Amino acid sequence: MFFIRRFIVRLGSMVATLAVMSFLIFFLVELMPGDVAQMVLGQNSTPEGLASLRESMGLNDPFLVRYWRWFSGLLQGDLGESLYMRGVAINSILWRKVGHSLVLAITALLFYVPLSIFFGVVAGVRAGKLSDQIISFFGLATMALPEFVSGVLFITLFSVKLKILPITSVIPIGESLWGNLNILILPALSITIVMFGYVSRMQRSSMIQVMDSDYVRAATLKGLPRRYVIFRHALKNALLPTITIIGMNMGWLFGGLIVVETLFGFPGLGSLTMSAIKTRDVPLIEACVLFITFIFVVSTLITDTLYGVLNPRVRLAKGVD
Amino acid sequence: MRRILHDLKSNPLAIAGFAVLFLWIFLALAGPSLMNFTYTEMDTQNQIAPPGTGGHLLGTDALGRDLLARIVTGSRSILTVALFTSFFSTAAGIIIGFSAGYFGGLVDKIFLRILDVLMSIPALVLAMVILGVLGDSTIMSLTLMISIAYIPATARVARGTLLTHKGREYVDAARIMGENNFSIMFRQILPNTLGPIIVEATARFAYSIMMVASLGFLGVGLQPPTPDWGMMVIENKQIISVAPWSVLYPALAIASLVIAISLISDFFSKVLIHES
Amino acid sequence: MKKSLFLILMAMLLIFSVSATGQQETPKNIVRVADQVPNLITPGVWDGQTFSMNCTIYEYLVELDPETNEVIPCLAKDWSTTDGKVWTLKLQEGVKFHDGSDFTSEDVKFTIERTQDPDLGHLQKADFQIVESIETPDDYTVVLTLKEVRPTFIYLFLAYNMMMLSSDYDYASLGESQPMGTGAFKMAELRPKESALLVKNEEYWVAGLPKADELRIYFVPDIDASMNMLEAGKVDIAPFATVIHKDRLEAAGFEVISPYQEHRFVALAADREPFNDNRVRQAMKYCMDPEVLAAACQGELGVDIFYNESPILNNQSQYYDIPFRGQDIEKAKELLAEAGYPNGLSVELYYGSDHPFGKELTQTIKELAAPAGFDVQLKGYSRDVYLSQYWMNAPMLLTGWGGRPDPSMLLMLAYHSEGPWNESHINEPRVDELIGKILAEVDDTVRQGYYDELAKVFYDRGTILNIQVPYYVALRKEVKDYSQPMTFVTRYKETYISE
Repeated sequence: MFFIRRFIVRLGSMVATLAVMSFLIFFLVELMPGDVAQMVLGQNSTPEGLASLRESMGLNDPFLVRYWRWFSGLLQGDLGESLYMRGVAINSILWRKVGHSLVLAITALLFYVPLSIFFGVVAGVRAGKLSDQIISFFGLATMALPEFVSGVLFITLFSVKLKILPITSVIPIGESLWGNLNILILPALSITIVMFGYVSRMQRSSMIQVMDSDYVRAATLKGLPRRYVIFRHALKNALLPTITIIGMNMGWLFGGLIVVETLFGFPGLGSLTMSAIKTRDVPLIEACVLFITFIFVVSTLITDTLYGVLNPRVRLAKGVD
Repeated sequence: MRRILHDLKSNPLAIAGFAVLFLWIFLALAGPSLMNFTYTEMDTQNQIAPPGTGGHLLGTDALGRDLLARIVTGSRSILTVALFTSFFSTAAGIIIGFSAGYFGGLVDKIFLRILDVLMSIPALVLAMVILGVLGDSTIMSLTLMISIAYIPATARVARGTLLTHKGREYVDAARIMGENNFSIMFRQILPNTLGPIIVEATARFAYSIMMVASLGFLGVGLQPPTPDWGMMVIENKQIISVAPWSVLYPALAIASLVIAISLISDFFSKVLIHES
Repeated sequence: MKKSLFLILMAMLLIFSVSATGQQETPKNIVRVADQVPNLITPGVWDGQTFSMNCTIYEYLVELDPETNEVIPCLAKDWSTTDGKVWTLKLQEGVKFHDGSDFTSEDVKFTIERTQDPDLGHLQKADFQIVESIETPDDYTVVLTLKEVRPTFIYLFLAYNMMMLSSDYDYASLGESQPMGTGAFKMAELRPKESALLVKNEEYWVAGLPKADELRIYFVPDIDASMNMLEAGKVDIAPFATVIHKDRLEAAGFEVISPYQEHRFVALAADREPFNDNRVRQAMKYCMDPEVLAAACQGELGVDIFYNESPILNNQSQYYDIPFRGQDIEKAKELLAEAGYPNGLSVELYYGSDHPFGKELTQTIKELAAPAGFDVQLKGYSRDVYLSQYWMNAPMLLTGWGGRPDPSMLLMLAYHSEGPWNESHINEPRVDELIGKILAEVDDTVRQGYYDELAKVFYDRGTILNIQVPYYVALRKEVKDYSQPMTFVTRYKETYISE
């Protein structure tokens, strides 16, 4: 019962966050200098052309009216039309790119989760030894490294020198992403490098804590094989904080996609956001940013719930929030 | 302070971090005058010259500009912005986070809600939208924008550290002595929470460098011909297949600075938080 | 469990192999292009990116012969004028739009009237203001009456935004998503910002064309990436190669052609400080060194890079050659001192930073002008932001301009005091007068005399530096019959792949 209530409260705050966010972005874009009508008509705009285009785009209505029009469309699942590419429904471009980005994100997850958990465990078990120092240094070094730095290093190595992977992520016409999975490798690797630091460090410190706990000591004293103790007893308990970190960083990962996708020309949500910001395409910016926010709040919600279910201490500690 | 120096001696990685950071600061201050070339000078005889040719230690780009001179000059803007950003975002974070945590109640609730919203959007996206509002990127606007984007994170840390101290005796004592809230927060609590705050500030320093570089890379950084490391990477990506070094060196410059500061930040967190 | 997995795997393999054999029936002739990322593609407001797409879906009344640079028939099979004022166009019969409707004189009338649509901001609006009336005596005849004599009127139909449109198609709402014309290819699938798949128009009015079955266009944001796709065998044609790529690709066995030269105009705005003073403009001209500018573009002066101070391309017949004045920093300093800037001055140069040669040229100009006391502040923006927010409203700008088959088209647009694209805000009565005479003059020799005088006026008082750079297209050797006249309209209908 407590769980359901907690979940509903969280769900409510998630919806509220999204609503406030959408307003905030709408407002910020409103403050941006420049004018979409000017942008659309470009070089040869005449005053009367601008005026009538502004009218037909509904740009002359008050800010709140425009926001409400957009918001009520959103409630019906209609994201509206791109302001810049007139007549192109956002639904028709957004979801395809979101799909690509999701595949990329999942590929990256498949790369970095096992990798960083494995090395985090190794570092935690062998804390203070050389292997731990190397792993910890590597994790620390890559944590604040911009994605494009590791990206260009990969391009130089794999595309320019070895020529085994493509520099740009282009999906040939008539084919889908599935037939071109090799374009995912370098972008996913670049993301992996950044996320590895966070996750492996978290895994290492929780591993150290768990290895130090009474029941692991007891298991070791019972004479169980070390490997068995580590993977059956310790890891199971040490995974919880790591899962939290992975979940919490999902939104962050999607933000990082902007850089990675720009570097590789990957047709995903990140490069779409970038081009929307460049052209001040308000509805498109809204849709992209809102979706990124959505990913963030949903993954936070799932992580929180999962954490509550998995961790007996949270389950018992009623009323503590 | 003595303890910090003592700990430093036994931490070769942190020493290396400090050494690299000081090297970059030295290069930023004195470097450009030591170079054979200025950062805009175009050697038309040596365009896309590989490292070592024509007196260009790190080679040249498509315009024949010396990469070493550009990287060294570029360290100025990135260090300036990162330094000020880590200062401003931490300072603002302390003020906001402390106030919220100290007064608690409704103020704190509202504060937490706003943070929830702001933290649900990636800082890079937030920064780009704010940059759109501010117009042209200058050192000033970049600093302001990245500071704003980082305030939610620093405020949250500041609030957390304040809460661990709020119930302590010395705070109660000060309150009984009749000190006003402002004085309790900043004269009593702040000096006692400096450790975690310094750690946060150095971490912000590293993230600011990451952010400046990323924005430059996305083409919304400083205006050319001011050399900007991130911009150099994307600019020279046009010739990456003929001149990989022109992309490699600015990327390595970013990496070296970021790694150095991460090592320093890690050292501080070991010394100032875990051991106290 | 394992058995069923194996079965599923086998089934999938079977499906794959069946679909693979299914595709092998008739080998399609497919031309693949790595082109720019288009912004707007609606006819009339199209920004001239991705010619491979719009110029194969749509068609024009007339075309330019890529070899001879002469106007040749397309949708108009014949045209005539009595006095340069009344023009009669005879249209090609049996032409159908992709939606099945017939192409008739009504559509021509609609297309021309559409240029004046106030809701549109048509790029050819000013050009077609000269049209007084349009009559359509029958389905295949159009009679145009102009407000004044214009011997070169037919050239206006070469403008890339003057594609012929269907009078009953809703271009305002479908122009971006479902382009539709009479061209040799039809749009099959458009993925915004990503790619376009065009298929052969089986009903095309010229027998035997197009030669290819499919045109696959990738929108690639960066040029190095396009060239890499070419090298990796993923595309057959990659326009906008730089000189660096040219050398590399030629060494690797690709063909790099230059269909024409393009302008990079440096405009010195005459309506504001500091270039409202001709001495300051002259000082800037004395700072230039064409050899250095050419080197910055990785090219060679007089071979693939050209420089002059008039609006005309060096290799056009109308060009009047005035030898370069020579770099003279002392002279420039003197002029600046006379103009009231003995200690130099600061000026902002705006440009599109992602435009080919934009960065290279502006940074070189900054360096060249510095010794005389010019502190040129570079203001680079992405091309779309530059054009929409700064272009036409800055003291100094660098803009890419395509050449025009007849230079008079450019003069009216950009150098007449009332031209819609008068970016340097030149306002010289003599220039206006000469442009008027050039437009109205029927006799070639007399007209050339006006062109010569115009070049001299620009040398003495002009507001521009005219740097010309090559436009390069890189091709696989297997690409046959690729040609692109200076109207930019690539003749993909003739292009095919011969393996």
